[in-house]
Amino acid sequence: MMEVKLLKGKNAIVTGCARGIGSSIVEVLAENGANVWACARKQTPEFENFLEGLSSKYDVVIKPIYFDLSDKDQMKIAVKTIMSEKRSVDILVNNAGITYNALFQMSTIDKIQEVFDVNFISPFLFTQYIVKLMLKNKSGSIINISSSAALDGNSGRAVYGASKAALLCATKSLAAELGDQGIRANVIAPGITKTDMLSSMTEEVINETVMNTDMKRHGEPTDIANTVLFLASDLSSYITGQVIRVDGGM
Amino acid sequence: MLLKGKNSVITGCLQGIGKATLETFANNGSNVWACAQAPNDDFEAFCKELAQRNDVWIKPIYFDLLDQDQMKAALKIISSDKLPIHSLVNIAGMTKDAIFHMIPMDQMKMIFEVNFFSQMYITQYITKLMVRQKGGSVINISSISALDGSYGQLSYSASKAALIGATKTLSAELADKGVRVNAIAPGVIATDMNKIVPENIIAGHVKKMSIKRLGNSFEVSNAILYLASDLSAYVTGQVLRIDGGIK
Repeated sequence: MMEVKLLKGKNAIVTGCARGIGSSIVEVLAENGANVWACARKQTPEFENFLEGLSSKYDVVIKPIYFDLSDKDQMKIAVKTIMSEKRSVDILVNNAGITYNALFQMSTIDKIQEVFDVNFISPFLFTQYIVKLMLKNKSGSIINISSSAALDGNSGRAVYGASKAALLCATKSLAAELGDQGIRANVIAPGITKTDMLSSMTEEVINETVMNTDMKRHGEPTDIANTVLFLASDLSSYITGQVIRVDGGM
Repeated sequence: MLLKGKNSVITGCLQGIGKATLETFANNGSNVWACAQAPNDDFEAFCKELAQRNDVWIKPIYFDLLDQDQMKAALKIISSDKLPIHSLVNIAGMTKDAIFHMIPMDQMKMIFEVNFFSQMYITQYITKLMVRQKGGSVINISSISALDGSYGQLSYSASKAALIGATKTLSAELADKGVRVNAIAPGVIATDMNKIVPENIIAGHVKKMSIKRLGNSFEVSNAILYLASDLSAYVTGQVLRIDGGIK
């Protein structure tokens, strides 16, 4: 039997591709036949080599797109670059984000605004642009990477959790507004995932959280990427407005 | 081929979501013990053709969910094959709709027997084997009525809610032994079970959906495939709604 790739011929935009979960998402989407606009903040030879490697390994088109999420002019230029290629956009994965750990009383207004700007306002605006492109084809799947912190409200996570909860809620509204136009929107809420972001937490907190999971281990970036694949593909054609926790059971 | 070389037990394979799941699993390379209520020639022919087409084996297994002796005998047949069991999909279920004050207690008990206790009996047996082999995925088919309530479906929705409680507890008990346990909550799916629902009620449901149509059985079986496969390796204790976004 011929192996059919789940995303053969689809075009995807992924943000935050330089490392961690984002780079794993690019790889899994490419492996499954999708062409990818891989967005990152900074141009580096390592990143470009990584993308070129994937492109030739999986025989798909992967293009780096550079912009800083907090710079709305840069974002606009990036969108124009994507639009100028005149290809359909089938998948959008809003993965880029920043973390912040601080007790509620210690959270500063500057940080609150910065975290909300990067984790909520930027993906919101970016999605506005991309949805316009998706509406042309009346089809698309949007996947927003939120966090278990958005659902659980952990200590020290007031700002980060709230910014990810805002993204989560916006996704549900988007799903309700666009479902009858062929566009689905869903959320993934990762738990403790082995990325650089973990370094913002103490080992004690990480261990405690891991022991609180049913599986008693942390997740890998590929665990998140594989669920992105499911939500991006037609396997989830009747799933919209949902939150899937990929957290080992917390 | 997300389940290449895996072996799965699926209940309720005769029709609807169960039949679609059997097909989806076979298409993805899984061998299946296909459980149904009673021997049926059409079903046997369907299994045989499906197995040949996908180069897998499919063994029809028959038992009535109200008959514990039959269940025990069937489970013994499965375990006597001495093969690893990678996934168990509990799909078989039934509904008898009636407003609360009109439900005969015997009927409510029967619904729980079929939708909950029999599933637990099967799950106890199969997960013992899964723990021994240090891995497996259990998928229980619940319903959005378990989460939202559903007028006239007290017995059904309560029995399906019991499955969700069991799913989460079982996940807590088994996940560190390599067995993941999740539930699926389908919305309004175009199956025989929903054929008896009056058209105006169905239209009312569709109005509340983000995707303004009923789901089909394969849209549910594809999500079951995700939960059975390694794509969901770090997903456990979850309830996944497949409902077109009902508000």
